[in-house]
Amino acid sequence: MASVYIPVQNSEEEVRVALDQLPRDATDILDILKAEQAPLDLWLIIAREYFKQGKIEQFRQILEEGSSPEIDEYYADVRYERIAILNALGAYYSYLGKIETKQREKEEHFILATQYYNKASRIDMHEPSTWVGKGNLDGLFCHQIILLSAVPLIIIVESRVKCESFLKGQLLLAKGDVDQAFAAFKIVLDGDRDNIPALLGQACVEFNRGKYSSSLEMYKRVLQVYPRCPAAVRLGIGLCRYKLGQFERAKQAFERVLQASNLDPENVEALVALGIVDLQSNEASGIRGATEKMLRAFDVYPYCATALNYLANHFFFTGQHFLVEQLTETALAATTHGSTRAHSYYNLARSYHSKGDYEKAGLYYMASVKEVAKPQEFILPFYGLGQVQLKLGDFKSSLSNFEKVLEVYPENCETLKAVAHIYLHLNQTTKAHDALRKAIRIDPRDPEAFLDLGELLISTDSAGALDAFKTARNLLKKANEEVSIEILNNIGVLHFERGEFELAEQTFMEALGDGIWLKLIDSGPQSDSTGGSHSDPIRRALYQPIDANLAARMYKDMQLFHNLEKDGIVVELPWDKITTLSNLARLFEQLHKTETASILYRLILFKFPEYVDAYLRLAAIAKARNNVPLSIELIRDALEVDDKNPDALCMLGDLELKNDDWVKAKDTFRAAREASNGKDSYATLCLGNWNYFAAVRSEKRAPKLEATHLEKAKELYTKVLVERPANMYAANGAGVVLAEKGQFDIAKELFTQVQEAASGSVFVQMPDVWINLAHVHFAQGNFALAIKMYQNCLRKFYYNTDNQILLYLARTHYEAEQWQDCKKTLLKAIHLAPSNYTLRFDTGVALQKFSASTLQKTKRTVDEVTNAITFVVFRVRATVAELKNAVRLFSQLSAASNLQFHGFDEKKIETHVGYCKHLLEAAKVHCDAAELEDQQNRHRLELARQAAIREEESRLAEEQKKVKLEKRKQEDELKKVMQQEQHLERIKEHWKSSSGSKRKDRAQGEDEDGAQGGERRRRKSNKKRKRDKKAESHMDDQEENEEDNTNTNYYEPEDQVNDQVDDDDDDPQDLLAAAGLEDSDADDNAAPASNTGRRIRGWSESDDDEPEKRQPSSSPVRENSVDMQVSDGE
Amino acid sequence: MKLAWLRSLETSHQDCVWACTWLPATDKSSGLLLTGSLDETVKLWNPDDLSLVRTNTGHCLGVVSVAAHPSGKIAASASMDSFVRVFDVESNNTIATLEAPPSEVWQMQFDPRGTTLAVAGGSSASVKLWDTAEWKLIATLSIPRPEGSKPSDKGNNKKFVLSVAWSPSGRQLACGSMDGSISVFDVQRAKFLHHLEGHTMPVRSLAYSPLDPRVLVSGSDDERIHMYDAEGKTLFSSMSGHSSWVLSVDVSPDGAAVASGSSDRTVKLWDPKMRAAVQTMTNHTDQVWGVKFEGGARGSLLASVSDDKSISLYNYS
Repeated sequence: MASVYIPVQNSEEEVRVALDQLPRDATDILDILKAEQAPLDLWLIIAREYFKQGKIEQFRQILEEGSSPEIDEYYADVRYERIAILNALGAYYSYLGKIETKQREKEEHFILATQYYNKASRIDMHEPSTWVGKGNLDGLFCHQIILLSAVPLIIIVESRVKCESFLKGQLLLAKGDVDQAFAAFKIVLDGDRDNIPALLGQACVEFNRGKYSSSLEMYKRVLQVYPRCPAAVRLGIGLCRYKLGQFERAKQAFERVLQASNLDPENVEALVALGIVDLQSNEASGIRGATEKMLRAFDVYPYCATALNYLANHFFFTGQHFLVEQLTETALAATTHGSTRAHSYYNLARSYHSKGDYEKAGLYYMASVKEVAKPQEFILPFYGLGQVQLKLGDFKSSLSNFEKVLEVYPENCETLKAVAHIYLHLNQTTKAHDALRKAIRIDPRDPEAFLDLGELLISTDSAGALDAFKTARNLLKKANEEVSIEILNNIGVLHFERGEFELAEQTFMEALGDGIWLKLIDSGPQSDSTGGSHSDPIRRALYQPIDANLAARMYKDMQLFHNLEKDGIVVELPWDKITTLSNLARLFEQLHKTETASILYRLILFKFPEYVDAYLRLAAIAKARNNVPLSIELIRDALEVDDKNPDALCMLGDLELKNDDWVKAKDTFRAAREASNGKDSYATLCLGNWNYFAAVRSEKRAPKLEATHLEKAKELYTKVLVERPANMYAANGAGVVLAEKGQFDIAKELFTQVQEAASGSVFVQMPDVWINLAHVHFAQGNFALAIKMYQNCLRKFYYNTDNQILLYLARTHYEAEQWQDCKKTLLKAIHLAPSNYTLRFDTGVALQKFSASTLQKTKRTVDEVTNAITFVVFRVRATVAELKNAVRLFSQLSAASNLQFHGFDEKKIETHVGYCKHLLEAAKVHCDAAELEDQQNRHRLELARQAAIREEESRLAEEQKKVKLEKRKQEDELKKVMQQEQHLERIKEHWKSSSGSKRKDRAQGEDEDGAQGGERRRRKSNKKRKRDKKAESHMDDQEENEEDNTNTNYYEPEDQVNDQVDDDDDDPQDLLAAAGLEDSDADDNAAPASNTGRRIRGWSESDDDEPEKRQPSSSPVRENSVDMQVSDGE
Repeated sequence: MKLAWLRSLETSHQDCVWACTWLPATDKSSGLLLTGSLDETVKLWNPDDLSLVRTNTGHCLGVVSVAAHPSGKIAASASMDSFVRVFDVESNNTIATLEAPPSEVWQMQFDPRGTTLAVAGGSSASVKLWDTAEWKLIATLSIPRPEGSKPSDKGNNKKFVLSVAWSPSGRQLACGSMDGSISVFDVQRAKFLHHLEGHTMPVRSLAYSPLDPRVLVSGSDDERIHMYDAEGKTLFSSMSGHSSWVLSVDVSPDGAAVASGSSDRTVKLWDPKMRAAVQTMTNHTDQVWGVKFEGGARGSLLASVSDDKSISLYNYS
């Protein structure tokens, strides 16, 4: 065994001290050393031995004694050993500082270390080892934790003189002053390029600066120079290789640390590092290996925070939260290293997070975040914190945390999705959209991102949403994951919204899967349709004939399901399928498979009687079928479930309006509004409508009441619009009120916008706005446009079945004087609504008006264009026929009025009949005249024709004469030639020429005769015309008056008073005035009846009255008209 | 069970075509198609090529219904001015002009033996029966007023009679009203039997199955086609599928299919066993007011007429 010999002062003797038998109490040996004034290197050797034996206290005692002031004084000239002692102490305190976990003590140790180094350097400024130590110490704070312990270990173990000087460089490193440390080590290396500690220090510095390859070079050189170097060097190599991504070689290096017998089989750092490398492999075996190594490291040294953290992490995943907490708490106690602590806090937070303790999790995440200097280093706690804050509803903080995550990982899908989610909550849809789009771009295989995107787009971009959902579905299917019913439901609804009904149906069916509904929906062929002997009990129950008297109440019938249950069939409906089933039923409604829809709704109600929507849909079906009582009953059922359901209340109010129950309806609408705290715009809208109807409803209009109601309606519409600027119905209502007030241009603008907005979705059907627009065109005299608009509306929304719009159309034709169109339109309307007598009356009026105007025009035509007479006659005849039709219509009405089928006053109808008959008589005269004219015309034509023939004849005769003359000339010549020879022929020649002239005279006479005859006749016809004019002038008066009347009275009662005053003396005129009054009555009768009929479009009907009032041509001021009406009423 | 489109004539009339029926073949002529239109004319067509045989004028206001006598020699047409014109098919001579004021005239049908013409009387809430030998009004089948209602009640208006159909035996007669009810009468005793409830909007068309006298098919504005047991007062089935009013229904000669025409511009063929439409024809561009199977020897033709002024023929098999 090694021993040292302490020379005894002033003698040749030596005291032998066996190094393995050093006294327990260092004071003994110190006494000897002091007494004998032993050389300082002996002190150092003994101290080192103590250290080796783990007797740290003694080691310290000796060194401290060895560096005390007396010793300094005594050994003042022994510089090198003194420095060595100080350096050893410095190194010792550096080591203490390094392993100390408490910050304060740690600092104290470092301060002490620094003091020793400084003292050492004061002894000799040029001793390089001091600088090395200083440099290395600086690195302690910032170096990788594993290396931290490695370097001082080297120093302690390697207690050679040179190595001690290296410790000074360490100090600089420890203070984080990498550059200075670098400089310090460089000084050493410049002196001795193979100075191992300096090389190590420099390697450490390079490592810290991220120059892993040069760090690696340094370590390698250490290994070359000093092959027996401690394991820490290999550890450094391993770390560098690890950082450089050479995992396999890093692993080899770490393994070497553990394997080599001369090295350190229980090197914790190596174990941990190996574990981490194993983890890197990301394989199950690797992870298992890693866990084993970590556990070993834990056994060896239970305070290695990294190992603790790793183990905590491991137990987190195995779900042993108790262990997680213990381990992390130990780790936290064991280290002050920021990022390690951050990891520990993170583990702890994660543990609480997974247990659902968000408050605590949040606190620990927060602690973790605080430990992290730069988010780049450790981002996970930010993410966790974001998640917890999101969970706790703190969107803003959550967002900022997620954004930090995104700064580091701008392409992290999960974070992008989370951020999108928050944006959505904060109503920043564009940003949400961007985030999701990015997430999808980065990972086009993430169904969740697509789902989120779908949800986001659902209200704004149905096509985009549909695509997103579909992609999500496909991705899920590809991954063999179950596609949830919600996704399918959403896809179905989107298809539905886009009008792709077949796809929608398929999707809903897929979502619903198997169940009783399949049988209820399916309608495959059966063996027997009416016999009721179906083999399948469901079929049998479905096909049970029902008592026709109960058929009307079918939508409340649950017997079907009771019967099924009686037959032992389980009627089941899982709760999560209600929504989809209800959607499917709604789809069937759209497809007009209404009966199937009703069965499905009833199935829902059978199992879930509190599902209000199903009641309401059934009520809507009943209402569409005009079954108001049943509809009301169903709504009452719904209200029994929830008596504050605003939808049910609104519907009820609507039905009450239909039943003409005004006061009740108003109360119901009010209740609906209160039930929803005024937030349900539909209830407000309904009240607005109610007020509007109330304003225009009464036959005797009270201007004050009307104005208040209108004002109220406007107020309510405006209120809705303020809350929801995109509410088309409110905009439409506002437009109507504006139109009512005569502001047609603004109203038109509004209607046009609403019309544009309303096109696009199957769920938004707004024929009203078309009608209103048409009304405005009409009121502005734009008849052609109005007609087009009415026609389009009819075709687009009503399959041409709405007689009310046909009436508007007819009225427009009437104003545009398109009598035939007017008549045809009215006839079509009658055909559609045979029991609507108002239409018949209107037809009569139209025919009457048509006849009158035709007769008037006829007269003019006769005067102006004589050669169109035949046409005129035709027209007059047609007119007479129409008049006869009118008479017949009115007579029928008159007869019907006896049976009180309709509300017309018999007298007034008779007035019309009287007038028509009167017209008919006038027309008869007119007709006769026209016919006479026609005859004459024909005669004249005949004469003309004859004259033409005669002319032709005379022309022919002339030609003949010419020919004859020619002939004669030739003959003359011939004669001249033959004269001399044929004297006897001359007498004969003479006779021939005289007979030719006679003939010519006669032809002239005839011509004259013809011309005279024509003139005579013309004169005669003139006389006739004069006589006609007398009759016509009489007609004229009547027609003009009549025209005024039909024009004004038919729809504008206000002018009628004037007429009466003007034409007091005119008998038929009075009658007509009365008849005209009737017209307006008839219209009023028609309006309210249908007003109540429609929910939102009601005002369009009442609008009908409105343009009539304000005909641009004839009505002066509104006030006037009202006054007149009042006087009229009186 | 299938319809195959044969041919169409685009502008068969100058205006909406509102009524059609088949004239049975006689010894002198084969079966003809008879149509009536808003243009106030009645036209006869040769179904082989849809060539016009004749145009009858004389009606005022639109022609709302046409009826063919089982002999094929006589036909009747009615217009909105409430006149019924009975004419000889071959010569177009007017045989009689019928009128029963104040009742209007809507649908008409000759009874299967040809002795009576039934006319739906609109607001009179009755069906008028005319004797075809002397053209006299022989009976008025009135729908009884609901109990407790006064004659002055406006509600009476709801019993406005629109449609009429004879049972194949000629013993029963059914008529459809504006309020959606169907009334069944015993003709011989001139007695009201019962109502068939179920529709809630005007019943514009009725047809008995030619094979089963109990089965009555009805079409209504409520978009449904009902099949009733007219005797047992039960509803076999209610078929929905049209997206607007059902204006006309007819049962195929073999009793296996029902054809319907609707405001939704389609003609549908229904299989009552499946309670669903098996085929939808979309060749019309406006409301289809009339569908009619040819019940005679040919037995496989279906005609449809529409507001789009056209006539279409289909082969039924």
